[in-house]
Amino acid sequence: MEQLVMNSIEQSLDNNQPLSFQTLASIRSLVINPSTSDSTLSSVLNALTRSLQLSRDSVFLHHVVKLLTDLSSRCPHLSPVAIDLLRSNSLFTSSDSPRLVGESLSALVSLTSSQNDVDDARFVSLCLSPSVSVRLWLLRNAEKFAVRDSVLLAVFLGFTRDPYPYVRKAALDGLVKLCEKGDFDDHDVAQGCYFRAVELLCDAEDCVRSPAVRAVCGWGKMIVVSTEERNKQDLADAVFIQLCCMVRDMSMEVRLEAFDALGKIGLVSEDILLQTVSKKVLGMNKEKIYKPIEGLEISASGAAGAFVHGLEDEFSEVRMSACYSLRTLTVFSLRFAGEALNLLMDMLNDDSTVVRLQALGTMHHMAISNNLKVEEIHMHRFLGTLFDSSSAIRFVTRKILKLAKLPKLGLFKLCIDGLLGNLETYPEDEVDVFSVLFHIGRNHGKFTVCMIEEVSSELEPAFGGKLGFDSTRVAAFLVLAISVPLSHEKDARGVPPRIFSYAVTWLGRISHALSDLMSQETLLAYLSECSRSSIISLADFKIKDALPTVEGDMPSHLCSDVGSPVRIPLWQQDGETSDHHHTKLWSLGKSATHAEYELGEHDELRKSLNLIFRKVKDLWPLVQLGCTNEALKAIRACKEEVASYTAESPGSAGAVAFTLQYLRITKLLVAVWEHLLLTKKLNPYGVGKLELLLAKLDRRLREINNRFIGLSKGEELQIMDLIVVACLLRLSKVEIYCYETAMKKLSSTISHVEFLHKEGSIEPSHFMVEVKKSLHEVGSSIGGNTCKPLLFKKLVDSFSFEQFVLCASPRYLNAELEVPGNDSESPLPFISGIPASIPLVITLHNISSDNKLWLRISMSEESTQFVFLDLNLIRGNNEVRKFTFVAPFYLTPKAVSFTLRVSIGMECMGETLHLVKTFGGPKCELTYLSPEKEIFLCKSTKC
Amino acid sequence: MAIDCLVLGAGQEVGKSCVVVSINGKRIMFDCGMHMGYTDSRRYPDFSLISKTGDFDNALTCVIITHFHLDHIGALPYFTEVCGYRGPIYMTYPTKALAPLMLEDYRKNMDRRGEDGQFTSDHITECMKKVIPVDLKQTVQVDKDLQIRAYYAGHVLGAAMFYAKVGDAAMVYTGDYNMTPDRHLGAAQIDRLQLDLLITESTYATTIRDSRYGREREFLKAVHNCVAAGGKVLIPTFALGRAQELCILLEDYWERMNLKVPIYFSSGLTIQANMYYKMLINWTSQKIKETYATHNAFDFKNVQNFDRSLINAPGPCVLFATPGMISGGFSLEVFMQWAPSEINLITLPGYCVAGTIGHKLMSGKPTKIDLDKDTQVDVRCQIHQLSFSPHTDAKGIMDLVKFLSPKHAILVHGEKPKMATLKERIQSELGIQCYCPANNDTVTIPTTHYVKADALDAFIKSCLNPNFKFSKSSSVDKSYSGSNDSKAIPGLQVSDERVAEGILVVEKGKKAKVIHQDELLHMLGENKHEVQFAYCFPMRTERLEKTRSEDLPSADDLLCGLDKCTLISLLSTKLSNELSDGNIQDLGEQLQVESFCLSICLKDNCPHRISDSVQNDSEVVFCCCSWSVADEMLAWKIISIMNNYTLPLEGRLQVHI
Repeated sequence: MEQLVMNSIEQSLDNNQPLSFQTLASIRSLVINPSTSDSTLSSVLNALTRSLQLSRDSVFLHHVVKLLTDLSSRCPHLSPVAIDLLRSNSLFTSSDSPRLVGESLSALVSLTSSQNDVDDARFVSLCLSPSVSVRLWLLRNAEKFAVRDSVLLAVFLGFTRDPYPYVRKAALDGLVKLCEKGDFDDHDVAQGCYFRAVELLCDAEDCVRSPAVRAVCGWGKMIVVSTEERNKQDLADAVFIQLCCMVRDMSMEVRLEAFDALGKIGLVSEDILLQTVSKKVLGMNKEKIYKPIEGLEISASGAAGAFVHGLEDEFSEVRMSACYSLRTLTVFSLRFAGEALNLLMDMLNDDSTVVRLQALGTMHHMAISNNLKVEEIHMHRFLGTLFDSSSAIRFVTRKILKLAKLPKLGLFKLCIDGLLGNLETYPEDEVDVFSVLFHIGRNHGKFTVCMIEEVSSELEPAFGGKLGFDSTRVAAFLVLAISVPLSHEKDARGVPPRIFSYAVTWLGRISHALSDLMSQETLLAYLSECSRSSIISLADFKIKDALPTVEGDMPSHLCSDVGSPVRIPLWQQDGETSDHHHTKLWSLGKSATHAEYELGEHDELRKSLNLIFRKVKDLWPLVQLGCTNEALKAIRACKEEVASYTAESPGSAGAVAFTLQYLRITKLLVAVWEHLLLTKKLNPYGVGKLELLLAKLDRRLREINNRFIGLSKGEELQIMDLIVVACLLRLSKVEIYCYETAMKKLSSTISHVEFLHKEGSIEPSHFMVEVKKSLHEVGSSIGGNTCKPLLFKKLVDSFSFEQFVLCASPRYLNAELEVPGNDSESPLPFISGIPASIPLVITLHNISSDNKLWLRISMSEESTQFVFLDLNLIRGNNEVRKFTFVAPFYLTPKAVSFTLRVSIGMECMGETLHLVKTFGGPKCELTYLSPEKEIFLCKSTKC
Repeated sequence: MAIDCLVLGAGQEVGKSCVVVSINGKRIMFDCGMHMGYTDSRRYPDFSLISKTGDFDNALTCVIITHFHLDHIGALPYFTEVCGYRGPIYMTYPTKALAPLMLEDYRKNMDRRGEDGQFTSDHITECMKKVIPVDLKQTVQVDKDLQIRAYYAGHVLGAAMFYAKVGDAAMVYTGDYNMTPDRHLGAAQIDRLQLDLLITESTYATTIRDSRYGREREFLKAVHNCVAAGGKVLIPTFALGRAQELCILLEDYWERMNLKVPIYFSSGLTIQANMYYKMLINWTSQKIKETYATHNAFDFKNVQNFDRSLINAPGPCVLFATPGMISGGFSLEVFMQWAPSEINLITLPGYCVAGTIGHKLMSGKPTKIDLDKDTQVDVRCQIHQLSFSPHTDAKGIMDLVKFLSPKHAILVHGEKPKMATLKERIQSELGIQCYCPANNDTVTIPTTHYVKADALDAFIKSCLNPNFKFSKSSSVDKSYSGSNDSKAIPGLQVSDERVAEGILVVEKGKKAKVIHQDELLHMLGENKHEVQFAYCFPMRTERLEKTRSEDLPSADDLLCGLDKCTLISLLSTKLSNELSDGNIQDLGEQLQVESFCLSICLKDNCPHRISDSVQNDSEVVFCCCSWSVADEMLAWKIISIMNNYTLPLEGRLQVHI
């Protein structure tokens, strides 16, 4: 059969006749048939090649293209020949039929990954040809060709005017993609695209309106970023309102896009946000007209009731999207959060389970970010979800309750009643309910005590020494009661000791419920300890500290950034992210040498610290939008919060200090970032300020790098990321950098990172990979002496702030200096010209004798003197050393009195000092371990 | 061409909706309702206005009914059977199914009251035989010219908005609609159409309603609290619509909360209606449609039939009973039994007619209600008032009008003062001409009329090829913006001119043609003429004090010595400083900006020179310019710049070069 077909082909070719369609059809059957031999196939290819010279008929060529595609996908070893054929003049450049060119192009694209077939001019000319299908195909596959972005932009923008709706749609999709790439700095371009996208919001076709919404969102954000600070807010508001106008569209897809987009705008002013939850136009918004760009006007009333409509939409997808978008927006305004909560509470009556879950998820998110203010009128509805037949819903509700902080006893009782009811209706929830009760009890020590007093009669053994029949209820109260000594509130005590001994009888069930908090032995020890005396001894604190993290209420569960989760049911997403989080934690922890042993300790604190890190990470988009002040404010608040932890738990000073240091660094990074954003006008004094900031940042980074030991490899790597960013920031500013030093530092850091990667077998972050690659390019292309600020700027842009996960307890290298009895009233005596002795009481924390410590004693910048502290001569363990050291000061001036500044510094290896001024001083940069101490000296009156 | 819109009912009132629209020779009657408030002739629309002779078949092309409420369909049997209309009647499938139930129910009530129903049971049956049912989004060709199409309207089961198109004129009649979904019906849904006229209801012309969730929450809370305390709940409702919505709500809640309290339906219309709902699942909300495959939402799991013996059975329960306003019947019977206990709950519909018990309960909380002379009922139970409404609110109306953006809008089915407010809003905020005619008024609005034109080859070819242009100016562009007022447009603009380039040629007695501009001359057989302006004007030159030791040459010498090129380049520098846009080309002896062309004129009697005497000829250089019409503005701008400019010679010249 094969032979037969081949013969007929040969015959017609020999006669110089083009192949008939029938022959082509039989060729196709040969190609498709899996049993056709390879030799036949290659002769088919030959025949096709020959036949191409005979006919230029476009229908014929069309078939040939199809056959070639099939042939080369069938046997890959023939594909190079086929591809060459496709590329050859006969097919590819036949200008008479753009459709054919399109076909061969798409065949080529599907067969090869090379992009060199089409250049800018060819791409444009093909797009402009009359064939609509080719145009559409090219627009949709534009990114597969090596076409410059600027050309693409022009083409896409132009085709938003095409009369064919699908071409308009493809063009808009292209514009959105370009916008996401974000390489366009030109304000005019962004405005032009935005304007066009806004026009297309009124398109007659649904399929155009929905990408138009995306384009408005994308380019809207772009113009917000590219405008100066004082107009930002208004612009962002205008874009937001523009999107709000689309939430009443008749097409579900468009509405869905609109709500997805609303959640992405970010910075929106409170007035507008409040308007979105009220269908009536609020007074303050009545006359407000925004003019984002020339020719566009939009009234604030357009935002009226956007979320009200969204939450009562017919389609559950839209309702979910609206719920989801609320979560990002509630962060900005407490008032709005309150109003939104009213709506969300109503969503708990929704007929779709996924929507109810999403609403609860948003509430949980609000609870984590401290925006959840549940009022009494909501309680009925909210606690109603504890009786919901869906266990996922009950679970999320309880998760919110774990975080709840209730202001009134009444509310507290309602909650407890709700949980008890839950337990009664769904006994299978017992484990989780007990766990929640325990948490609630710890959060509300005083209320719990009141509650227990009220129900104490129920808890007492009934006649005959047996506990009541309603045992689960009693067990629940007992769980609540035993949480009191571990309460977060001070002086919350007063649970009679005998309660604890009752609890022992339920040890099995209770410890099962609290298995994630403590082991049965610990629980037993704890209960017996508490049952002995009502005064809580120190031992309890140990237990308190020993409470490990509760996996279940790791706050990152719900708020993890998954693009748009609207289409994923929540529980699924929930599980995924928590898994992801878990593996991340695990992989980071794995490399830690001793972290595993310590994992059990200080977990409560670490949990809250990780929460802080998460907050910081969530702030980063704000910074990128240019809302520096807001971000700084938030970081400051975080700092205050962290600072308050110090007093609470003495054993974890290291972690707290680390977090504080990290926050300081972030703050500086934010400040520096602001300068980076203002690309256009950097005034000269700005340069000075930036230089100052960068120097400060370097110092802080050096501190965090050197003053903490016991960090895991993963943690260290994250710090390295920051150091690299700092270097890049320096390099990207032409005005500032000292290229040599910064480059040197960069490469040394990178090599250190590489070393860490190898040792810990951890995947480097995406950013690091980028940096390494580019650095390699810089190094190889030139001797390394030319500056490439643009390259570095791009690298900096690729930096994404990742959440720091603290999983070890770092130890903090710290020193305290004291000169007993010295102050300005009672100075130390000295005789000018003769060395003075300064008796210093020094306390060192966590410093081993391997560290090289120096005392820096300075009177002024010029007269600074370093004294080496030999730790080998000083006894004591590495944990804490306290000793007295008499430091000599040689350069006493001729003065009646003077002050000295003393501080302790540690040499950090690997960072050589450039400005060697002092003789016999340290060889490397110093990291200062203590604040500067001022010492007063006065001329001795004795002589 | 125009659309005439004769409002026979629901003009500035609610009740007997009936609008007769004439478009392009076709006459459509939208809705044929009755007024429930009257029993005299005012009950029905004044059909004599349609045709004096009573020949309705020729006067009307068709009748379209939007939904089964009596104020939209009540007069239909009368119109067809008594008045004798025999033309086509269109309504949706559910309306056709449910309308006889409603009409029959109404007729029975009338009979019971001993009123003259004016139509009989047979009339209803006969009338329904004439009905042609339509499906959603099904385009029905009524006759050669008239197309109609139904769109989903929410409101009640089977409610539709109707689109009608005759020739180029198109309009939409909304009937009653709801822009927000409820538990069993979806929100109104319509395409973005090109409309000349939109006739919309305006029941809530000024009200803006809150989210329905709040109302649902209150209702559920009240019911739940009552049954949790062991009480009985009486829900008097109308048979169709609200009963199903509330029942779905309760059913869902029961399911979620695992409640076991029985829900009862009093027998009768409600159960029959439930059957229809079950069949017409395609007309319900998205959620019900989606879950239909696994569970029909109208298959109420917890609902049981009620038996009179259960009235005094112990334990909590929920009962749906007709009629809605406790005006009699079964709901009254149950009310009398349950009202005296304070643990029971009665929910009342949003609106109760004066005189009914429902109305008495709504107005303040009476402790005793006199049913008649002998019977008195102690009312100690709790009362909850429902405020559900299947009509859209003011914002919904605005949203719909904005979405459709018709050229004109007419408001019907509302209260006069409120309609006036809404009319003002539509006109001021949306810029759409709006009317709210009274009953028996006629509104005439102009319509679009399209002229068909042939297109010639070159034009078609140019249309196929994209031809977009980018402009980067902040100038005011009138041609571009669609609205009348020119608006300033941002820096980067894109426009595609392939269609704009066409030229419409209408020759007497021939069909209109659209041609490409290149074809125009050929077609007219004419040569191309261009209007060129020319102007020669003097420019002052400035003679500076001698700054160097050389002698100053005279002006003539200057012109010869200093070659023209220098002067031109001097001017070009000046121009490029002054003109922000425009492409200034220095062509040596000439200066070119677009079509504007300037050269130094050495002729003494240049024909373009306007010879008003200049003070000193020797200090003047003449510039001769020419330009075409298109650049007139530009030309005068340049000339005015030149006029205000003194050519510096010598010293400053050095500075410039």
